[in-house]
Amino acid sequence: MSAPSERVAVRFTVNGWPVEQVVEARRSLADFLREDLGLTGTHVGCEHGVCGACTVLVDGRSVRSCLLFAAQLEGRSVVTIEGLTPAEGLSPLQQAFRDCHAMQCGFCTPGMIATTTELLAREPAPSTENIRDAISGNLCMCTGYVNIVRAVEQAVAARAAGAGG
Amino acid sequence: MSHRTGGWVGRPVPLKEDARLVAGRGRFIDDLGRARMLHAAMLRSPHAHARIVAIDTREAEALPGVFAVLTGAEAAARSGPIRPLIPTTAGIPDYCLAVDRARYVGEPVAAVAAVDRATAEDALERIRVQYEPLPVVVDPEAAIGPDAPLLYPELGTNVVWHDTLTYGPVDEAMARADGVLRERFTIQRYASTPLETFGGIAEYDPGTDVFEFWTNDQRPGLTISVLAASLGVPQSRVRLSCPDIGGAFGNKRRPAYLLICALLARKTGRPVKWIEDRIENLTALMHACNGIMDVELGYRADGTVLALAVRDIADEGKNLITPTQHNLIKLGNIANGYRIPAVRYEAWSVLTNKCPSGANRGIGKPFMCFAIERAMALLARRLGMDPAELRLRNYVTAAQMPYTTPPGAQYDSGDYPATLHRALERFGYTARRAEQARARKEGRLLGIGIATSVEPAGTNLASYEIITGRRSASGSAEAAMVRMEPDGQVRVSIGDPASGQGYETVIAQIVADELGLTPDAVTVTRGFDSTTTPWLYLSGNYSNKFSVTDVGAVVGAAARVHAKLLRIAAHRLEAAVADLEMGGGAVAVRGAPDRRLGFAELARTAYADVLGLPPGEEPGLEARHAHQNPLAQPMDTDRRVRSQLVFANAAHCCLVEVDRRTGLVKILKYVVVHDCGRELNPLIVEGMVHGATAHGIGAALLEEFRYDAQGQLLTSTFMDYLKPTSVDVPLIEVDRLEHPSPVTPLGAKGVGEGGAIPGPAAVANAVEDALAHLGVVVRALPITPEQVWRWLR
Repeated sequence: MSAPSERVAVRFTVNGWPVEQVVEARRSLADFLREDLGLTGTHVGCEHGVCGACTVLVDGRSVRSCLLFAAQLEGRSVVTIEGLTPAEGLSPLQQAFRDCHAMQCGFCTPGMIATTTELLAREPAPSTENIRDAISGNLCMCTGYVNIVRAVEQAVAARAAGAGG
Repeated sequence: MSHRTGGWVGRPVPLKEDARLVAGRGRFIDDLGRARMLHAAMLRSPHAHARIVAIDTREAEALPGVFAVLTGAEAAARSGPIRPLIPTTAGIPDYCLAVDRARYVGEPVAAVAAVDRATAEDALERIRVQYEPLPVVVDPEAAIGPDAPLLYPELGTNVVWHDTLTYGPVDEAMARADGVLRERFTIQRYASTPLETFGGIAEYDPGTDVFEFWTNDQRPGLTISVLAASLGVPQSRVRLSCPDIGGAFGNKRRPAYLLICALLARKTGRPVKWIEDRIENLTALMHACNGIMDVELGYRADGTVLALAVRDIADEGKNLITPTQHNLIKLGNIANGYRIPAVRYEAWSVLTNKCPSGANRGIGKPFMCFAIERAMALLARRLGMDPAELRLRNYVTAAQMPYTTPPGAQYDSGDYPATLHRALERFGYTARRAEQARARKEGRLLGIGIATSVEPAGTNLASYEIITGRRSASGSAEAAMVRMEPDGQVRVSIGDPASGQGYETVIAQIVADELGLTPDAVTVTRGFDSTTTPWLYLSGNYSNKFSVTDVGAVVGAAARVHAKLLRIAAHRLEAAVADLEMGGGAVAVRGAPDRRLGFAELARTAYADVLGLPPGEEPGLEARHAHQNPLAQPMDTDRRVRSQLVFANAAHCCLVEVDRRTGLVKILKYVVVHDCGRELNPLIVEGMVHGATAHGIGAALLEEFRYDAQGQLLTSTFMDYLKPTSVDVPLIEVDRLEHPSPVTPLGAKGVGEGGAIPGPAAVANAVEDALAHLGVVVRALPITPEQVWRWLR
């Protein structure tokens, strides 16, 4: 058994703020965000990389924070649900989730927002099939995904309309 | 007593709680902490059945950062057994940790409290347990047999309950039937697996001798009484609070875990938190019973069903706290929506060396519906009838409502034939049949499945008198408080902590109508706090009960505040109450709009200027009300009882395609038509229907807790226990009928469980319809690609 007390110094940014800390080598990014930084919007649903609840963005890419160690983040830029939420009100994507009631218990929602934020950054006009494919790594036990797909479709349509499309 | 003026009820009002949840601002149990808090981890049995010979905790206790280790023997010395959550006869003490014997893989045998979870888990590796493996029983039929290994030798049997209940002339009807269809169906173990796992924090304050708990337990009323009894303290010195709950579906009830935290907290003098991990959740929290049903349908040649006899074996695993519920909850509606005059039900509730069974979305009814709807599909095929036609011939009709089933349930409202007709129309039944025929010619395997069901709501614990012969807990009730604050704004709390049902919104809609306000002026307190929330033993978030009891509690409390506002206004305006009207946040004299007092002014009188109150009027503007649904009654002398109270109904139609090469079943179209009475917020209702249907699809095609012969669980992660994803669940098309219930205050019926009940049967019927020409009969779930591939060969 490796020494659990082994510690590593790490520097990266979270939601634009610099973080400089010495962490246990085995500390997951999810635990680091939740327990060391108090960013409890990132939820932990399985701790084995399947459910997607803990999804955050690292350098713009969606990752499962339960499968990364905080020590691996040296020099990276991490964005959590707290960073995806404007200081006032909601982002257009969040507003679409609310309008469509794309959640019930809300436990999967921050991960869903992270995943679909990445999708919309990558693809300006994803098809329904693209949307279903993109969120297939995020489990939701409440909604049957119907309203989540609707919400992303609405956000896409709103963006197209806003762009003068 | 209702004064609905604003028309907020019935509107798809966007959810208040969604605004915080979408921003990650929910507050869930794992988001909470306490100063000096320790973290617990549990050591679990690797054996399905073993004697615990010795436990050595010294090395674990010596690990830096470890504050306490708790063993079963110590737990049994420091706390009483966990009281069963339902009335039962077993009478075997069941402690929070295994004491001298472990009875399923994953049963907790010791617990550690340490500075953090990682250190606590390190300590688990240092606990030495000496086990002596015992013979294992995994199969419920084997468990009934005379030579079966016994989980509890002191009980002398693994059978918790066996009885045969007969309602009407079953033998006579079977004898004069033109035929009897006999078939055996089985269902697997599965669970709704809320995305947030179970958890809690316990803190002991030696200064006041109070135990305080924070937990996502969905039945706080009952849990408080269990914890107080086990800890040997008065209930007045147990405080329990619930924050946001990340899904529950029946699964979030395990007082034993909270008790373990409490014992560790008392031992260490510090708050102790425990959050279940996913493997613990899948291995050891609870599974819906796997089961076997032998079904006999006596029928006439024209398709009329004359009698139903069912032998139902429920495999409870190691469950002494809620055994028999999967049986009993089926009994009232065992004939589903059909008018079958004679019913026999033989119940077996059996212990095995598996995870405890427990409440799971629709408890037992998904299996009831699977067995009956599969039997109806097979009967239609045998008679050469269309499966829709056979159902229409046998339904309880709208004209027969209210209809009492032979075992005593009362179907209060609805038009079951109309529900099916609407579903067939929305589905395009005739066109889909033509599509199926065309596809068949091209060599493609398309199948159409129909399943319909009743969806009961509300639980009457008096029904357990059938088993125990005496009444302990009974009825169906919930309590709420409505308080107009001194500024005229309204606050509501209720003994039912939401786990995703949007209560902060829908309750605000109800109260807004009762008091002539907008929902924005009504704040519904999140969660539950036993020191401020009104509650009953029966309080909680379960059994589809919101429409049955909760709505009545809210309406009743609001009506009291309404009446008091009128009395105060009448006094202040020197008018008669009968001449006043309420609306727009004010009370005015009818026809004299200048003689008007706003709620803020009336509230100021009630709280601050109390000499302005009518003589004898109590200061304040706060009212509590508990609503008891009048349908809940004791068992009658013929052992008939309403175990559940209000009945919604639904029809599901689906079109599937079976891939010949891979055995994969793809759902091409899925239509749900349901009738939950008056829809209080259609946005919430439709979401519930989607989600519950997805649960049904998961049970039909993917999910299974599979055990080997040694009782080892083979599917203990989300990599092998498969949940439906966004590419498995189709667009679920929903339509509705709205026949209000005459027995609930606003006419609403249950909606949370509905989709999960007919879902498995609808998908199974569709798969069989695609493969029946190959001689396939679907008798078990889930229908995995592997299973289909074997059928095709």
